[in-house]
Amino acid sequence: MSNWLQGMPTAEAYEMNKVLFELHHRPDDLEAFRVNPDQYLNRFSLTDPVRRAILGNDVAALYLAGANPYLLRAHCIGMKIPEAVSVGALKRLAGEH
Amino acid sequence: MADIVSIMACSHTPVMLNFPDAVPQPEREEIFGHSHRLGQAIATAKPQALVVVCDDHVHNFFLNNLPAFCIGAAPTYKSPVEHWLKADKRVLPGDAQLGAYLLNAVMASGFDPALSMELTLDHGVLTPLVLAHVSGQLPIVPILVNCVQPPLPSMKRCFDFGVALGDAIRAYPGLDRIAILASGGLSHDLSTPRMGMVNDEFDREFLRCLEAGDSTEAIRFASQHVHEAGNGAEQCECGSWPLALLEQRRSRLTFIALYPVGTPVLAWVSGGVKWLRPGQRWSLEVASLG
Repeated sequence: MSNWLQGMPTAEAYEMNKVLFELHHRPDDLEAFRVNPDQYLNRFSLTDPVRRAILGNDVAALYLAGANPYLLRAHCIGMKIPEAVSVGALKRLAGEH
Repeated sequence: MADIVSIMACSHTPVMLNFPDAVPQPEREEIFGHSHRLGQAIATAKPQALVVVCDDHVHNFFLNNLPAFCIGAAPTYKSPVEHWLKADKRVLPGDAQLGAYLLNAVMASGFDPALSMELTLDHGVLTPLVLAHVSGQLPIVPILVNCVQPPLPSMKRCFDFGVALGDAIRAYPGLDRIAILASGGLSHDLSTPRMGMVNDEFDREFLRCLEAGDSTEAIRFASQHVHEAGNGAEQCECGSWPLALLEQRRSRLTFIALYPVGTPVLAWVSGGVKWLRPGQRWSLEVASLG
């Protein structure tokens, strides 16, 4: 048992975390993302699965791809993803393992 | 030479600010009441500055540049950095001279914390200050420990850093009275399938070690069992406690455990806020050690 899926982030996870970070720290990014998410994500070098996970608010997939837990948590609150949805998605993973 | 006149440790979950009503009365009143009393205790100790040991929740630092330790040396700090945190934007007074002194002093004793002359502090620092009603009342020195993204500094390293920090604070010639606030929870887990869990057994044993002043056992136990206590229990949100609490062994101080272990307050459990079952209150004060 480990507190961390990745002891060292993969390159894919780094780029995904960069999206989660910049969305909530750069002044105009959240608005740009909301207006045109596809176009916004073109700024980053994302793999297709990660891109789909971000676009679909797929919290479980983001977790499995190595999202930093604090960036993911802040993203869920910042995007106003309901707690039941975000926590529920993670809980269902526990049932699968 | 400065006296360390107060050492406090408490949790800092942002949901206490964002969803204050998520917890029913009377628990809510009691928890916020304890937070307020923590602030009153700090004020009663009449410190001239407050050193806040906490973690940065990937706001000031990202994976492109992530210091294990960082000491702030700025005259002011904007807060909060989170656009989603329900707290008024403000500018907190800082003690740049004290920060610079502590940085130089711990460097001289073999540690290499990063320097920051501009931080926008997050809920980790702001939540306790707000709930304790001391936000803006005292110049602060933020000391940030990476407990949020591996690779992490070891528990032992955090403890040794705390020893050096304590020595540096006491040696500071610029002030007479300095307080320390350690901000972080015990067992809890964020953004994983275990989210919502707490580990009572871990919390009780860790607090027992701290109460007994047994730092060797506290470090051994926390290092060995932190993965059973969740990612929130890492380092600062564990490490920041010993960072501050080690002080009690060498000073006559009052240690107030604001959030004893026990039944988790479920709605706030993501931040490691815990509450006690009736009749199982963990001692609020461990006084006059050393």
